[in-house]
Amino acid sequence: MSVLDNLVAGALADQQIREQQTSLAQLQEMAAAAPTPLDAKRWLRRNDGIPVIAEIKRASPSKGHLTDIDDPAALAREYEQGCASAISVLTEGRHFLGSLEDLDAVRAAVNIPVLRKDFIVTEYQVWEARAHGADLILLIVAALSDAQLHYLLELTHRLGMTALVETHTAQEIERARAAGAQVIGINARNLKNLQVDIDVYRQLAHDLPNDVIKVAESGIFGVTELNTYALAGADAVLVGEGVATADDHVLAVRRLVKAGELVKSSQDTPLSTKEGPYFGQFGGRFVPEALVNAIDELEQVYNEAKQDPAFQAELKRLNEQYVGRRSPLTEAPRFAERIAEKTGIHPRVFLKREDLNHTGAHKINNALGQALLVKRMGKTRVIAETGAGQHGVATATVCAMMGLKCRIYMGQIDARRQALNVARMRMLGAEVVEVTAGDRILKDAINEALRDWVTNVQDTHYLLGTVAGPHPFPTIVRDFQKVIGEEARDQLKEWYGIDHPDAVVACIGGGSNAIGVMNAFLDDDRVHLYGYEAGGDGPESGRHAIRFAPGTGELGMFQGTKSYVLVNDEGQTLDTYSISAGLDYASVGPEHSWLKDIGRVHYSWATDEEAMNAFRDLSQTEGIIPAIESSHAIAGAYKAAEDLKAKGYDHPVMIVNVSGRGDKDMHTAAKWFGYLTDEQEAALGDNGAPGSHTA
Amino acid sequence: MNHIQESADATVPTQPQGFSKQPSQTAARLTQLKAENKPAMIGYLPFGFPDTATSIEAMRTLVENGCDIVEIGLPYSDPVMDGPVIQRASQIAIENGERIANVFKAVEAVAEAGGVPLIMSYWNLIFHYGVEQFARDFAQAGGAGLITPDLIPDEAGEWIEASDRYGLDRIFLVSPDSTDRRLKVVTQHARGFVYAASRMGVTGERDALDIAPQTLVRRTHEAGAEFVCVGIGVSNAEQARTVGAYADGVIVGSALVHTLLDEDGNAKTDTKAALQDLATVTRTIAQGVHTARQ
Repeated sequence: MSVLDNLVAGALADQQIREQQTSLAQLQEMAAAAPTPLDAKRWLRRNDGIPVIAEIKRASPSKGHLTDIDDPAALAREYEQGCASAISVLTEGRHFLGSLEDLDAVRAAVNIPVLRKDFIVTEYQVWEARAHGADLILLIVAALSDAQLHYLLELTHRLGMTALVETHTAQEIERARAAGAQVIGINARNLKNLQVDIDVYRQLAHDLPNDVIKVAESGIFGVTELNTYALAGADAVLVGEGVATADDHVLAVRRLVKAGELVKSSQDTPLSTKEGPYFGQFGGRFVPEALVNAIDELEQVYNEAKQDPAFQAELKRLNEQYVGRRSPLTEAPRFAERIAEKTGIHPRVFLKREDLNHTGAHKINNALGQALLVKRMGKTRVIAETGAGQHGVATATVCAMMGLKCRIYMGQIDARRQALNVARMRMLGAEVVEVTAGDRILKDAINEALRDWVTNVQDTHYLLGTVAGPHPFPTIVRDFQKVIGEEARDQLKEWYGIDHPDAVVACIGGGSNAIGVMNAFLDDDRVHLYGYEAGGDGPESGRHAIRFAPGTGELGMFQGTKSYVLVNDEGQTLDTYSISAGLDYASVGPEHSWLKDIGRVHYSWATDEEAMNAFRDLSQTEGIIPAIESSHAIAGAYKAAEDLKAKGYDHPVMIVNVSGRGDKDMHTAAKWFGYLTDEQEAALGDNGAPGSHTA
Repeated sequence: MNHIQESADATVPTQPQGFSKQPSQTAARLTQLKAENKPAMIGYLPFGFPDTATSIEAMRTLVENGCDIVEIGLPYSDPVMDGPVIQRASQIAIENGERIANVFKAVEAVAEAGGVPLIMSYWNLIFHYGVEQFARDFAQAGGAGLITPDLIPDEAGEWIEASDRYGLDRIFLVSPDSTDRRLKVVTQHARGFVYAASRMGVTGERDALDIAPQTLVRRTHEAGAEFVCVGIGVSNAEQARTVGAYADGVIVGSALVHTLLDEDGNAKTDTKAALQDLATVTRTIAQGVHTARQ
């Protein structure tokens, strides 16, 4: 006899003893008098969470005694208090030390569905479950013939109950479905090591239609397994030992419930209105506790501001009157011709001109929005980091305009290669602190800004410049930048009579200009989205800032968020390199990591050389000098066109985001192309810009 | 039900571990000290600084000179909660080839010397090592628990689960800015003790201490924490004595690290003398801590 046969035989023998006390007819009377069953299906699937079935479990044959449960009713109440969606009660007495008394006690104690878990193979046991107030029963496919399964399932439904039909294999799932199971439990334990094998679960759950509720019921101990199952599509989970043997049962259940809510909230659609803290598995708040208050406050103030028409009106007014929005959408026919020469297809190319904003880049969109939030929070001091200097300049600018005290942290290497921007920030009244710690680039400036924030959080706002960092920054910065794409979409229609672009192209460091131009198109499948990272000397060189190519970035936590990060084999952050200070960053915004994982945005890279050639191409074909950062998008336009060609486009409409202007980069470019004589070079002074030397 | 398959195969290995019911090593030590009316002296040093062998020797020195609990720091490239002294020491350690896999030797050394070994680590290092694997290796080496300066309980699901399975302490931080609600959240999920940051800011020595920590310790106790230890900014015996009067433990870091650095911020070349300095400073501060209530 198999183990299961033994267990069933034991359950049947016990039933016979009970039958001598209580006949089937008596049970049926009791069932008629029992409280109306709850429709468990309504508890076992939610849009906003992963329902947890918490089990009253004293022991199991494989693990023996687990815990004493003297008062199952009290335990069930604790589970309910922790927001369990149903309580599973083992009524098998021989190996699991359960009883129908447990079921009675639990039924009387809670107002959520109660599952009778036993080896149910007879009509008597089903009636018995109902007579004792169960809303759900377990039916194990492996223990039943097709006829039995069909009959017991039908009876269960007739009595107003729901059956959790347990399966282990594809064949069993087929049998369960054929019998009409509405809630299917999947047991995906790997027999070799007893670990839950999520691939087995995926395979088994794969073909189940949406109207079947999928319950993961093996090996869920805590948040780790719940997350894994939830991401694999489980609707609900059943947890035994992980909650029954916990020190604090309420907390143990609550942790699981919260984790489920996070997973669900990360999977919402539409894509464009997705809010943090999580984008898929990315994002979160990996910060010191000392910052939690500040980011809670920021989130709250932002949510209020977002709903406040006065705030929106003020932002719009300043955007128009101070920044100079809308920024134009300029057609670039001569540059398009260059693409045609290279690729053989004939695109129409439109440039979104963020370079024409006040301060010369998209960064001011976010700086302005956050500065208004600073006013709203009543804080008086602003700190910010900057790489290329554009965000620092934008922040110093809005602080000057609003009378806020401003300090900008900048890595020493960046401060040298963008010396003019250092002067601009100082001219605007900001204090510029050169960071000499670490690699002396953008990430080190962020570290120093975070240290400042931890110390001065009460009066200071950290005006983060990109869609990275802890929640709510990725969401807030995205919201302040998405005006780029919204304008471009409208301008394409109004000015050029084109309904939609076929492609949108942007460069990506942290990713704020890219998110800004892409957001309006995320839910429009007709629009292909392309993001280009800083390729430096190429992915094999080890000198780059590519996070998304195979063998580059890994999943990790960096500067407050979970995303792709460039790390060494110890988990230490790697040095990055790019000719562009603004893209020279070891990580990338969590929303981008998510968009990469779901395949919505195609990410690739442009090397220093490709970017500099594009810098010259655009300058000489259109009279528009892009920032070196933006030049990665221009270089990307050639690559995107190749991809569009492969997809069958002959005359694609492409929007390329020119995130900033290139005046600040002229020294670097002059060196790169050798435009200056030695004397002229010497007169400008060596500012440490890359191009003619190694950084 | 699971057992059907589990028991069907006679060759299956033992079940994955459930909750470890092993009591908290840290709490046990704090309880014992409390009975003697003594706060705990908790010393911090970065592992691998200035090199692996010396750092292990230094950890042992801490225990031999009065540290009840040792906080072994894992050097990280981007330590946002640390001031210049610990940043510098961490950088030296990384440059000298510090490897996480070797930290368990330091854990063993501390345990052997009779101290309670804690590890302080930024979360990415543990995440990268593998949370479950780290918990297993750490517990096997005799480790007591982990201090996580950039992991709040809200994000700690995987670590809470792993630490429960391996009986490890979870030491989360609170700061003077923490609301009562946050103090509750942290206290509820912490195990061992709660780490109270004496002031807003990063690690480093300070001439004067705020009065904030005393209030914070009281509020954290009121939120339900059994033990609350104070760190950040405690740099001499007098401050240690002041803090020890109301805290269950006093955490000292930069002042100890300082003894191993020269004036230019490099590791002292005379290791023996440096370790002697470390011993002296540790002894002095430990004396201050242990006599705080006498």
